[in-house]
Amino acid sequence: MGSPATKAGETYLSGFLQGLYGGGLDSDNPTLTELTASETRLQLKLESFSDGAEFFGRLDFVYDDYNDPNVDLELREGYTKFRVGNNLDFKIGRQIVTWGTGDLIFINDLFAKDYRSFFIGRDDQYLKAPQNVLRAAYYTGLGTFSAVYTPRFTPNRIPTGERLSYYNPMVGGIVGGEDFYFEGRMPEAKLKNGEFAAQFSRYFGTADVAAYFYRGFYKNPTGMDMVNMEAYYPRLNVYGASIRMPALGGIAWLETGYYDSREDIDGDDPTIPNSTLSSMIGFERQLTSTFTANLQYQNKTILDHDTYLASLPEGFNETDEMYHLITSRVTKLMLMETLILSGFVFYSPSDEDFYGKFSVSYKYTDALTLTMGGNIFDGNDGYTEFGAFQKNDNVYIKVTYGY
Amino acid sequence: MKFQKIIMVILLALFSGSVNLAAQDNNKAEEIMKKAHLALFYAGDDGAAEVTMKIVNSKGKERLREFTMLRLDIEEGGKQDYYTYFKKPSDVSRLTFMVHKIPFSSDNRWLYIPSVDLVKRISADDKNSSFVGSDFTYEDVSGRHWSEDNHKLIREEKLNGRDVYVIESVPKEKYKGFARKVSFIDKENYLPLKEEYYNKKDALKRVFTAEKVELVDGIQTATLRKMVNVKKDQYTTVEFSSIKYNVGMKEEVFTERFLKNPPREYIR
Repeated sequence: MGSPATKAGETYLSGFLQGLYGGGLDSDNPTLTELTASETRLQLKLESFSDGAEFFGRLDFVYDDYNDPNVDLELREGYTKFRVGNNLDFKIGRQIVTWGTGDLIFINDLFAKDYRSFFIGRDDQYLKAPQNVLRAAYYTGLGTFSAVYTPRFTPNRIPTGERLSYYNPMVGGIVGGEDFYFEGRMPEAKLKNGEFAAQFSRYFGTADVAAYFYRGFYKNPTGMDMVNMEAYYPRLNVYGASIRMPALGGIAWLETGYYDSREDIDGDDPTIPNSTLSSMIGFERQLTSTFTANLQYQNKTILDHDTYLASLPEGFNETDEMYHLITSRVTKLMLMETLILSGFVFYSPSDEDFYGKFSVSYKYTDALTLTMGGNIFDGNDGYTEFGAFQKNDNVYIKVTYGY
Repeated sequence: MKFQKIIMVILLALFSGSVNLAAQDNNKAEEIMKKAHLALFYAGDDGAAEVTMKIVNSKGKERLREFTMLRLDIEEGGKQDYYTYFKKPSDVSRLTFMVHKIPFSSDNRWLYIPSVDLVKRISADDKNSSFVGSDFTYEDVSGRHWSEDNHKLIREEKLNGRDVYVIESVPKEKYKGFARKVSFIDKENYLPLKEEYYNKKDALKRVFTAEKVELVDGIQTATLRKMVNVKKDQYTTVEFSSIKYNVGMKEEVFTERFLKNPPREYIR
């Protein structure tokens, strides 16, 4: 009879050193330089556990040289984890939080995303931006109740004109460069301006089913304060549900969310998004032992669309009542999984825009990985989701040494 | 006419007798393969081990994976839960992987990527996919149920000084993993000491060997295993250490809660 190993505190250090260099493909991009990335990153991961609690820290030192050379220091994660009684887990501090079923489509996951990193070829782990949160999970026979409280609202990191250009509705075109640096106005740092997210999840056989609630703000500055001519983050509540299960030799998922736009309940304020119903369905399957593909379809329906249209002033861009998005990811593993080819495309037939991400990654040794990739945007109009970034096409190379 | 009838009866009797004998042989072979399956994949009621996997390609270049593996048998010879916590290489460290194995059906698999706090369910249609880029497949790790193949005891012999049964197994239904498998089963402890996998052209594709067998907590355990990919001229070794059996592991360990929060009594 063996017995579980119990040791006193232990500490582990690991991380990586990475160089990322990328350049734009559009000569008419109105950003400062043609570079999209020129950075050297050192990540330190420190993990420590004793019998009572665990600590985890992930710290990035970045020498960023794409414009003005400077050294950034970012604490990606710094949290403690502990258990109270048998059924209650706490995770407190700076951390990444993710839930929901979509592959790069987020309906009920209203935790901060970093599209600035995502669009220029940083690793997938940088798509999620950290939030300083209080997180608890309570496990019962009925299911799991999770709650995440973020005292200070944490918005998405979106292109601001500095490194990546964006669409500015005031100018009516794609802008970038120093004159157009853009920042949304944050809600005041008050107790009532925190974010609260909750999830209840459980299994029915092999299907995992979840219900979600969010109270906070739009994560992008989608509201326009016409008095101060400032973009800001309007209040938002979201109610949603998801199911995910094995089906047809793969995994299928369905998720829906009702976006309740609290500052535009009637839908008659054209400066704030109307309430919207967002739904998606997805399916992933391994097609050969080294090739996996998935397909997703998302629909967003704007509620009170007639009221919105009636309130829209002359000259504003109309948003269609229905938005459709199709995405697909393909992954091919070669040479005993040392060579990985991957592609992800977003295509919206309603907005007529497109975003494709492609990469080839080769693990020369366990420690050394070489990656080449690209991000391609296209669109008929500048004001659509991906069309707004159509001048940001870029390619990059990345060298990572893990330790 | 009468004479012919008698001949028929005799022939039938002889034939059915030989069929019976063959059936008995096959029963014995199946019994051995069942014991071998249980000895290799169901030792104890549960188990925990540190695993070092070495993947060596045809040019001699080595790659290493280190992980902790936990296993719980829900039914002897039936359902099992597996939990893997990766330590090395650096790009997969802290990643956890969980499998609920259901014989004769698709497994349920989950992957947790801590850097993005993502629980991903993995479609598990193909059990012949490589396990983390090695020469072992998922099925090699968790086993193929003995009743999916027809078994025949073809001879008994000595292998490296051990008495072994040599058994040929042919899948009952057309199968991608192999067309024919020859197993060398230790007569004393029923561990497979060697397995040869042949494809449908009857060419030798892969060879499994138990390189080292040790007594752990009273259970004979293959602590060093090797899989040679003959065609690609490469191999993978798997070494188990700090093995513990019957630690009283709970089924709760194999849930999303512990997928996201590795159970530190087993995983350091």
